[in-house]
Amino acid sequence: MKLTKIMKGVLAAASIAVVGSFAQAQQAGGSLVFLVQPEPPTMAGYVSTSGPIGLLGPKIYDGLVDYDNDGKMVPMLAESVDVSPDGKTITFNLRKGVTWHDGEAFTSEDVQFTIMDVLKKVHPRGPNSFKEVSSIDTPDAHTAVFNLDNPAPYMLRALSSYESPMVPKHHLEGQDVKTAKLANNPIGTGPFKFVEWKKGQYMRLDKNENYWREGRPYLDRIVGRFVPDASTRAAAMEKGEVLYAAYNAVSNVEAVRLNKEKDNIGLTTDGYSMINPMALLEFNTKEGPFTDAAVRRAISTAIDRQYMIDTIFFGYGKPATSALSSNFSATGLHAKMPNYPANGDVAAANKILDDAGYARDGNGVRMKGMFDLIPYGEDWKRGGQYIQQVLGEIGIQVELRYEDVPTWLKRVYHNYDFEMNLNYFYQLSDPVLGVHRHYGTNMIRKGTHFVNSSRYSNPELDALLSAGMTTPDATKRAGIYLDIQKILANDMPVVNLFELEFLVVYNTKLKGAYGSAMGAYASFGDAYLD
Amino acid sequence: MSDFWKRFSRNRQAVLGLIILCVVIFVAAIANFIFPTDPFLYSKFPLSAPGENGFLLGSDSIGRDVASGIAHGAKTSLLIGLIATLAAVFIGVIFGAFAGYYGGIVDDILMRITEVFQTIPSFVFAILLVAIMKPSIESVVIAITVVSWPAVARLVRGEFLGLKNREFVQACHTLGMSDVRIMLAEILPNCLSPIIVIGSLMVATAILIESGLAFLGLGDPNVMSWGFIISDGRSMLRVAWWICTFPGIAILITVLAINLVGEGLNDALNPRLRERN
Repeated sequence: MKLTKIMKGVLAAASIAVVGSFAQAQQAGGSLVFLVQPEPPTMAGYVSTSGPIGLLGPKIYDGLVDYDNDGKMVPMLAESVDVSPDGKTITFNLRKGVTWHDGEAFTSEDVQFTIMDVLKKVHPRGPNSFKEVSSIDTPDAHTAVFNLDNPAPYMLRALSSYESPMVPKHHLEGQDVKTAKLANNPIGTGPFKFVEWKKGQYMRLDKNENYWREGRPYLDRIVGRFVPDASTRAAAMEKGEVLYAAYNAVSNVEAVRLNKEKDNIGLTTDGYSMINPMALLEFNTKEGPFTDAAVRRAISTAIDRQYMIDTIFFGYGKPATSALSSNFSATGLHAKMPNYPANGDVAAANKILDDAGYARDGNGVRMKGMFDLIPYGEDWKRGGQYIQQVLGEIGIQVELRYEDVPTWLKRVYHNYDFEMNLNYFYQLSDPVLGVHRHYGTNMIRKGTHFVNSSRYSNPELDALLSAGMTTPDATKRAGIYLDIQKILANDMPVVNLFELEFLVVYNTKLKGAYGSAMGAYASFGDAYLD
Repeated sequence: MSDFWKRFSRNRQAVLGLIILCVVIFVAAIANFIFPTDPFLYSKFPLSAPGENGFLLGSDSIGRDVASGIAHGAKTSLLIGLIATLAAVFIGVIFGAFAGYYGGIVDDILMRITEVFQTIPSFVFAILLVAIMKPSIESVVIAITVVSWPAVARLVRGEFLGLKNREFVQACHTLGMSDVRIMLAEILPNCLSPIIVIGSLMVATAILIESGLAFLGLGDPNVMSWGFIISDGRSMLRVAWWICTFPGIAILITVLAINLVGEGLNDALNPRLRERN
C-alpha cells in the first residue's frame, strides 16, 4: 500500500516534468472548447458591455494596448504611446502591416472613427472614458494623435480589447452603429476570425493566419459553448469536454468540489483585477414602491451580506461598505459608510421604515413590489430568493421575476419597466470608468446597457463627479470621493451588496490562458494545449 | 358500500396505495402545525446533511428545511392535482355528454374541438400555456386542466353513445323527461365508475405535470412545491444528494399510491371484473 503511494508520487513528479518540458515547446494546433455563460445577445462589444460578449469579443477584436498583472500597458495595435508633458496630447504609434479579417488594412482612420464615432457615442462607458478627447489627428496612416481638453490619466487604463475594441471603419461608416450588421458578423484584427454562430449551441472562431504577432495564435480554433444548465456545465468541465470556465459558468460549489476531487482541474481568482465586480440592487427611483430613499436605506440595512457570500458564493467575496469598492483603498478613494452592515440588522431596518411612516397591514406587509433577477445563473436566483425572505422580515413583499437576457436588458435599460433589480457592475480600475456611469445625470441614457437605469439625478453629485474626473491631486480627489460616497450612502439609488470574487476553473491541459490582467476577457493568443 | 370495500380490499396493492395516500394527505394537512414557519425561510445552516442541525431531511443551499418544503409541497401538489382534475372532469363530462347524447352535427363540432386539444403533446402544451400566462398557481391549474379534459370527454362520449339507446333511457323519453334530466339523472350515474377511475389516475398525472413545470422553473415562484425543491437542488446533487432525493421519493410514492388506488377502484367498480376472484 505504502509502496504504491510512493510510486504514485514518483509518477506524478515525472508527469509534471514531462508537462514542464512540453510547456517549453508550446505546441501549435488544437481546439479550445470553453464555456460561455449565458449566450451573448450580440457580438457588438462596442455597443454593449454585457459580460458574455467580453468572453468572445477580445479574441476577434484587438485593443490599442493590453495590460499585465501590474496594470502596466502592453503594446498591441499601438506599438508605443507618447504622452505630452501637459498630459493633453497623447500620440499612439500604430503597428504597420496589420489587416482586418477581410483583408483591408488597419489604419489611424479606424482608430479615429472607433473612438470619436463609436465608443464616444454608443459605448456604455466610452463617453466617460473619452470625455476629454476633443479630436483625433491622423498625420499619417500609422499615427493617431489624441487632443484632450484636460489631462485624463484614467483613459490610458481603458484601452484594452474588451473595454475599447478597435472596429473597422469601412463596415460601420454611414450606418447606424447600433443596428449595423457587424454586430453579428464581427470583423476585427484579433488572433481569431469569426466563423459561425449556432444560436443556442456554440460560436466557432478559427485561427487568423495573417495575425500580426509572429507565430500566434497557437490554437487552430476556439469554440465557445452555450450550455444553459448549471449541472451540465459542471459535468462538461469534469469530463474534459470543455477546458475553461470563467465568470461563474461553473458554480462555486461545483468548482470547489472539482478542484478537490480532480487532479487535472485547477482554480484561480486571478484575471479579474481590472474588472473589480460589485453585486448590487438597482432601484427605479422614478416610479414604483422604491422611490423613497428611506426604503432603500432600510433594504441595505436589512441584508446580511456576509451570509450571501458564505452560502451562495461559498466564501468568495467581500461585503460592500460603500458605493465604492474597497479595492479603491489603494488609491485612497474608498471610505467606509453607514447603512452597509456586513451582517444585516433587521431591527434597525424595521425602525427606519417605522420612522418613515410605512405601517404594516394585517399580514405584516408594508408594501409590495416586483424583483427582477439578473439571468446569469442559479447563484443569482438563489441570492434573489434570500433577499425576498429578508425583505419579508421588514414587511416588503416582493415577487421574483427571472427572464432571458435580452428581455431583461430591454426591461431594465430600454423601458425602465422594473422596480428593483439584482445585478452586478464592474467598477473597473478607476471610479471614473466604472462607477460614474451608474449615478451621473448624463448617464441616464435610454437603450444603453449598464448605465444609470435608476434615473437618479442630483446636481450636487454631478458637480462632484466632474470634479473627481478632472482633479489630479490625490488628496483633493480623496476628499471629493468621500463626499460622493456620503451622498450615495444617504440617497442609495443603488444598494451595493458585495464585492464579487469570480473564479476561473480550468483544465490543466490548457496553458497560457491565465495570468493576464484581463483574464477571460483576454485574446487567448498565447493559449495552447499540451 | 361494504360490498364495495370488500371488492376493493381484495386488491392488496390498492389497500397499500390507499394507506400511503392517507399518510401523504395527513402530512399535508398538518404541515402548518409541524412546520409553522415559511418553508422558504433561510437559516444559518446551509447544506446540512439529514439529521444535522435539527434538519430531519437536511437543508438546501441557503439553509431551507427540506422536510418542511416536502410537507408544504405535499399540500401544493395534492391541491393542484385535485382542483385540476375536478375542473378537467367537469369540462370533459359536459363535452362528452352532449356529444354522445345528441350525436350528429353537435357531436362533430364538439369532437373536432376536442381533437384540436388532443393533437398537441400535453406537456409541451402545458409549458406553452404557463409561459404565456405568468407562472402562478392559477395558471398551472388552468394549464393542467386544459391538457387533461379531452381524455374525459372521449370516455364520457363513448359511454353515452352506448347507453342512450338502452330501454331505460327510451322509457324516460316516453315518460316525457327533459334531455338534461335524462343525461344528469339517468345516464351519468350509470357511467360514473369509469369516470372515477380515470379521474383518480388523472390526479397522479396532474401532480407529475406540476412537478415537471416547477422543475423547469415554470412553477409559482412564491409557492413551495416538490418540483421546485428538485429544480433548486439539482446543481448541488454531487455535494448535497438529499435536496433532490427526498422530494423525488415523495413524488414517486405519491404518484404510485394514487395509481394503485385507481387500479383498486377499477377492480371494485367495473362490473365485468366482479367475477374476478
